[in-house]
Amino acid sequence: MSLLEFQKISKSFSGVEVLHNISFQLEKGNVIALIGENGAGKSTLMKILCGILDDYQGKVLINGNEVRFNNPREAEKAGIAIIHQELNLVNDLNVAENIYLGHEPVSRFGFVNFDKIYSETKKLLTEFDFPFSVKTKVRDLPIGWQQMVEIAKALGIKAEIIVMDEPTSALSESEIQFLFKQIKLLKESGKTIIYISHRMKEIFEIADEVVVLRDGKYIGKYNIHEVDQNFLVQKMVGKEIKTSPNKSKLIQKEQLLSLKSVIVNDNKKRFLTDISFELKRGEVIGIAGLLGAGRTELLKFLYGSYQQNYAGEIEFQNKRFIPSSPSRSIQNRIVYLSEDRKNEGIFPELSNLKNSSISVLPSLSSFGFIKSELELDTVTTMTDELNVRMESIHQHISHLSGGNQQKVLLSRVLLIKPDLLLLDEPTRGIDVGAKQEIYDLIEKLKAEGMGILFTSSEIPELLLVSDRILVLSEGKHTALLDTNQTDSREILQYACGGAA
Amino acid sequence: MKNKILDYYTKSDWLKPVLGFVGLFILATIFSPVSSKGTIIFLKFDNLSNILRQVSEIGIISVGMTLVIITAGIDLSVGSVLALSATLTAFGIMDWQLGFSLTIIVALLSGVLAGFINGVLISWGKIQAFIVTLAMMTGARGFALFIADSNSRNIGFGEGAAPEVFKIFTTSFLGIPFPVFIFIGVSIIFSVMLRKMRIGRYIYAIGSNEEAARLAGLRVNWIRTTTYVFSGLLAALAGIIHAAQLYQGNPNDGIAFELDSIAAVVIGGTSLMGGKGTLEGTIAGVLIIGILSNILGLHGVQKDFQLMLKGAIIVAAVLLQEGNLRFGFLGK
Repeated sequence: MSLLEFQKISKSFSGVEVLHNISFQLEKGNVIALIGENGAGKSTLMKILCGILDDYQGKVLINGNEVRFNNPREAEKAGIAIIHQELNLVNDLNVAENIYLGHEPVSRFGFVNFDKIYSETKKLLTEFDFPFSVKTKVRDLPIGWQQMVEIAKALGIKAEIIVMDEPTSALSESEIQFLFKQIKLLKESGKTIIYISHRMKEIFEIADEVVVLRDGKYIGKYNIHEVDQNFLVQKMVGKEIKTSPNKSKLIQKEQLLSLKSVIVNDNKKRFLTDISFELKRGEVIGIAGLLGAGRTELLKFLYGSYQQNYAGEIEFQNKRFIPSSPSRSIQNRIVYLSEDRKNEGIFPELSNLKNSSISVLPSLSSFGFIKSELELDTVTTMTDELNVRMESIHQHISHLSGGNQQKVLLSRVLLIKPDLLLLDEPTRGIDVGAKQEIYDLIEKLKAEGMGILFTSSEIPELLLVSDRILVLSEGKHTALLDTNQTDSREILQYACGGAA
Repeated sequence: MKNKILDYYTKSDWLKPVLGFVGLFILATIFSPVSSKGTIIFLKFDNLSNILRQVSEIGIISVGMTLVIITAGIDLSVGSVLALSATLTAFGIMDWQLGFSLTIIVALLSGVLAGFINGVLISWGKIQAFIVTLAMMTGARGFALFIADSNSRNIGFGEGAAPEVFKIFTTSFLGIPFPVFIFIGVSIIFSVMLRKMRIGRYIYAIGSNEEAARLAGLRVNWIRTTTYVFSGLLAALAGIIHAAQLYQGNPNDGIAFELDSIAAVVIGGTSLMGGKGTLEGTIAGVLIIGILSNILGLHGVQKDFQLMLKGAIIVAAVLLQEGNLRFGFLGK
């Protein structure tokens, strides 16, 4: 008898079927990777397992008994925990309070037994070599450790099945290795882990089995030792993807942006030091660095999102440039795509159309009135070009998968017809197919003469897309490398602060 | 076909409150007292136009309140601004002899100024809207009492008093009172603004995701300030109508108007979380409250019971809008 079994699960959202007759079984003590393109139904299936969605057809069986959870709490009681891609911690509570949130041990008079919370939390966290006090506010922890708190929380409710949704998307290489060590420990103690990820490398490193979904259908379950990456990618997309880059040579030599010894100070601490580089039209500079190295900060600073003091010289199109505000940057045709789609990108209550056109409305209106036909034409031309898969342009953007939301946001910045494109982790949390489309797009924009600054926490991706790579370590510029003459090892060394 | 209708029903923001209004209208007709001649009193032209006249002040205020709430803000100062504007109107036209146009300009400017101060403190001062407008609610009321020396000022007509043209606010056209036309005009102007104009789109965007709006190049602070200025302006407009209808400017009037207006906006389907809502819904909300008070009044139901019922209606309306009684703990 298997630990967990899905029997003919189907689920529709307002008439559109997103899961179709999914059946498979999972055994105890394994790490199972669940993969599929965005919109394949991974998240929906996991939401059913974890009680977030309760109206579906079919059965979920645990140890052979049918279960149907009406809410996450019931699922937790049955030993199922989920760690979401966006962490679900309360920033202003401390570590221990977060771990026991919702099931605090109480004393006879209804007071929370804090002594017990702290001692139990310490016990839970000893396994993790947790270097902070259990009374540290979650806000003050590095994001990698916040993730550990989530895992500890799952253990705190004695979960047997732990679902991890893209757990590494915000982690640096070293933090990922650390996470994998914990996952192996969990596995040894008999826990079952369902691991959702887009990163093939990780799957081969950590998983025992891999389940592939495509378009809401179950494609197959494979032993990881019997398959290779190309095979899985093909199962996921149903077609071959080209993996080799076809980098175009620099056509134009005209300088677009130059920074000379730029130093940026926050009120107290300095967060960017000695940044110098020149970006030409038609060039892509990738920005590498560990978490907290200042990649996002550099892009946001150039975009004028912070109003910090800085020293050094910045020239844009051979004129002195002072980053002052996003609206000013947009006038200068500098655009920024945020790494944080949910909090800094989408307008969830607005349609795809309105999400896309928001930055260029002045050019689509006269006397303050929006010319709706012009707006529709302009936006659909762009979304068609970017191959956004959506039911309708008037549908709320929150209904789209991550990859398609990203494309809508890309259409927003591309409609501005930028000269300088600041792309912050543009492929984060999106599937292989959409990633490839974004790489192709970057190639195309390059050829059109845009200058692109591009961050990624995946070094292979930086090597694939960039012409040169700027490496940051704790806000400091440590190297500017030619992609053809470097490798992951060297980049990582500079990212850790050391010279090669 | 059935699915399509259902789909439309769940997707359009304004349909539910409008259907609620239609439903209540039918119920009011059915349960209306009947006169000895057999006419349905509720449906009498005089009664209907009376309802419209009664709701027009709250209605005008609610239009501004809707804009503010869509940006995820709140304006608690509208009742006090109404009182201030009403007081300025009475003093302007009687004591200071400013004449018709200048009086109205002064009164409207008081609302614009109050709204501008609200907007600046919220946007650049980074203080919560609730607190800023609570302070303005207190302060504007105090200023109105100061001007009026805590008494109400009556408006009379004739030599050395209000000019005849001031009576325009109490006239009727085709049997419909003048304030109703102002309400209708304001509603049309602002719903066109929300639907068709850039500023309307920006207002929704700010309410939906302020940080995204800023990064998309919107001048968030100015746009938000504009909504508070509109709210103050419309509250002041309602204040002028208020003074003109009562022939007096009373610094103690307009108490709790902000709450009535928030209630109307919420019944109309606008979310206090921002990013969602329509003026059509708000207007339906205003009319729902108006009809309810009217039909209860026709039956001689006392104020105390009316208030209890109004409380229940607010909750019921929101429950219906959300479409379920489940509380989404982790709903994403």
